[in-house]
Amino acid sequence: MNTAATKATLLQRLEGLQHIPTIPAVLGPLLRYLQQPTEQLDVQKVTEMIGQDKSLAAQCLQMANSPLFGRWQKIDTLRSAVIGLGFQRVGDIAMSCGVLNIMPRDCGLDPVVFWEHSLGCALVARHFARKISYPDPGKAYLAGLLHDLGIIVNLWVLPKEFIVAFELARKEGIPLREAEQTVLGFTHCDSGLLLANRWDLAPDLKEVVALHHSPQVSKEHTALVTLVELSDLLCRMSGLNYGYVENRQVNLLEQTGFAVLSQQCPGMKDLDWARLTFELDSYLDEVHALVRAIYRI
Amino acid sequence: MTTAPVRSATALEGPPDPDLVRIRDLIYQVAGIFHPDNKLRLLFDRCGRRMKELKTQSLREYFECLTIKPIRQAELVALLNEITIGETCFFRNMPQLDALRQIILPKVIEAKINLPMRKLRVWSAGCSTGEEPYTLSMMMMEEAQGRLKNWTVEILATDLNERSLTHARNAIYGDYSTRHLTPFYRQKYFTPVGSQLQVLTASCSNINFSRLNLSDDSRMTFMKSLDVIFCCNVLIYFDLASKRRVIQHFYNNLLPHGYLFLGHSESLYGVSDDFRLVHLPGGTAYVKGERAQARK
Repeated sequence: MNTAATKATLLQRLEGLQHIPTIPAVLGPLLRYLQQPTEQLDVQKVTEMIGQDKSLAAQCLQMANSPLFGRWQKIDTLRSAVIGLGFQRVGDIAMSCGVLNIMPRDCGLDPVVFWEHSLGCALVARHFARKISYPDPGKAYLAGLLHDLGIIVNLWVLPKEFIVAFELARKEGIPLREAEQTVLGFTHCDSGLLLANRWDLAPDLKEVVALHHSPQVSKEHTALVTLVELSDLLCRMSGLNYGYVENRQVNLLEQTGFAVLSQQCPGMKDLDWARLTFELDSYLDEVHALVRAIYRI
Repeated sequence: MTTAPVRSATALEGPPDPDLVRIRDLIYQVAGIFHPDNKLRLLFDRCGRRMKELKTQSLREYFECLTIKPIRQAELVALLNEITIGETCFFRNMPQLDALRQIILPKVIEAKINLPMRKLRVWSAGCSTGEEPYTLSMMMMEEAQGRLKNWTVEILATDLNERSLTHARNAIYGDYSTRHLTPFYRQKYFTPVGSQLQVLTASCSNINFSRLNLSDDSRMTFMKSLDVIFCCNVLIYFDLASKRRVIQHFYNNLLPHGYLFLGHSESLYGVSDDFRLVHLPGGTAYVKGERAQARK
C-alpha cells in the first residue's frame, strides 16, 4: 500500500468512525473559560464545571494530590484544589485526565504507557520551559501532553495495524514513527494533525502535533515545536518512554530546531543538560504511581 | 544556636527540606554528583550518618560543617564516602552496560573496521576492587563470538590504592559485590571459594591491573589510543582544577570516536566544554566527537 493511499484510507476511516475520539464535554468550555484574565475567574464556577463529570472530577482530585503538581497537603475537594493549585494547574490537570479518558481501553495494547509518556513529556516540557525562561510554560505543558495525539488516533482507527508497527518498533528498538512509516505508510504526526484539525486546536498546538519529529519544517512556532521535540526525546531516552528501549544515541544539541530555541530563550545558552536529565528521574516514580492510580478510577 | 528539627525528604511526606536541597546543590557544585528529588531520602540518610558522628542536630548546622567550619574539606570527603559506599559491585549500572554493548560497541567497531589491527582498548580508571573491569571483560568475552570475533580486547584497570588492587587481583568477592550477578554469569565466570566467589582466570587474562594516580600528568600522557574510558565516582573527590586536568588527559587519551562514561548522575558541567554530552537509553555518556575537535 503506498503512502498516499494509506493516508486516504486513514482519513476515510476517521471520517467514518462512529465514535470519534473527543475530549470530555466539560473540558472545552472549561479551557475556554480559563483563558480569561485570572481576576475574572471564579473558583466556584470552575469547581462546578469540572464537577459535572464525576469520573473526571475524581481523577482530577487524585492528580491534584500528587507532588508533581506542587502540593504536599492533602486536598479533599475540587474547590480546595482550585484554591490551592490555582486555575492554570487545575486546567492542566483536567486536560491531562481528559486525554487519558480518550485512550481506547480494549485495543490490544496497554494505553497507559502512551499516557505516561504524554504526561511525562508535559511535565518535562514545563520544567524545561521554566529552566530556559520560555515565556509560556503552561503552553509547553499542554503541547507536551498533546504531542502524540496521533497515537490515540492510530489506536482508534487502525488498532491492528498500529499494534504491528508498535511491535516492530519494540522488537527492533527503533523510534515508533519509523515503524509506523514502514507498516502504516504514515506516522502519528500525520494522523494527529487530522484530529487536531477536527478539534480545531490552536495553530501552535497543531504544529507541535504535526511536526514534533521534524521541527525543521516548522515555520511559525519552531521554538515550541523544538521544546516539545527535546522533551519528547528526553522522555524516550529515560523511563518515560513508550514501554520499550530505543537502541540509539541522541545528541540533543544537534537537533534541528535547537538554534531557533536558543535564539528565543537565552536560558538555553548555559543550560546544564546533564542536571536537567538527572532531574527527570524524580518524575519517573511519581508519574508511574500517579498514572496507575488514576487509571484505576 | 537554635536547631530546627530534621525534616524528612521523601516526596510522600512533604516538600524537600530547603537545607537538604542546599546540601544537594553544594555536592553537585563541588563534586558533580546529583541527587534528584526522589533520591533526596538517600542523601538525607547519608547526611544523617555523618550528623550522628559529628553530633550535629540539624541539616542547617551540618551544611555549615560542609561549608564554613574548618573541617569542611574533610567532612565533604567523609560525606562523599558515605554517598558512594557500597556502590561497587558487578554489573552495577545495567543501562550503561547495555548501551556499551548495543550502541557504543557497534559504533567503535565501525570506526575501526578498516584498521589493520582489530583491537579494542577500554580503561577502567579508578577500578577500586576490580568489579568494573571484570564486568567489562565478561561482557566483551560474550561478544567474542559475535561482534568482536577476531578482535583483541585489552582492558586497563588502574587505581591509586594498592590494597584495592591486591583485592582486585585476588578476585574473590562476597555476596554484596556479586548481588547483581545473573545465574548465567555466576556459573560461567566464577567458581565458589568457601562462601565467596572467585573470578575464573579465563576472565582475567585480558585485564591489566596497575597503580596509577590520575593526577600524575607524566603517566597520564602515556595512556593512549583508548576507545572507551570508565571513570565512575572518582572525579567527585577532585577539586575543579585537578578535575579539568584529568578530563583534558582523558580527552587526549581517547581516539576520535572515543567515549567517556561517568557514574550514575555524575556530570562534567562546568568542568569541560570539549566533550559532548549524549543521551543513551537510561543514561548519559560523553563523546569526543568531531565538533569538539573542530572547536579546539
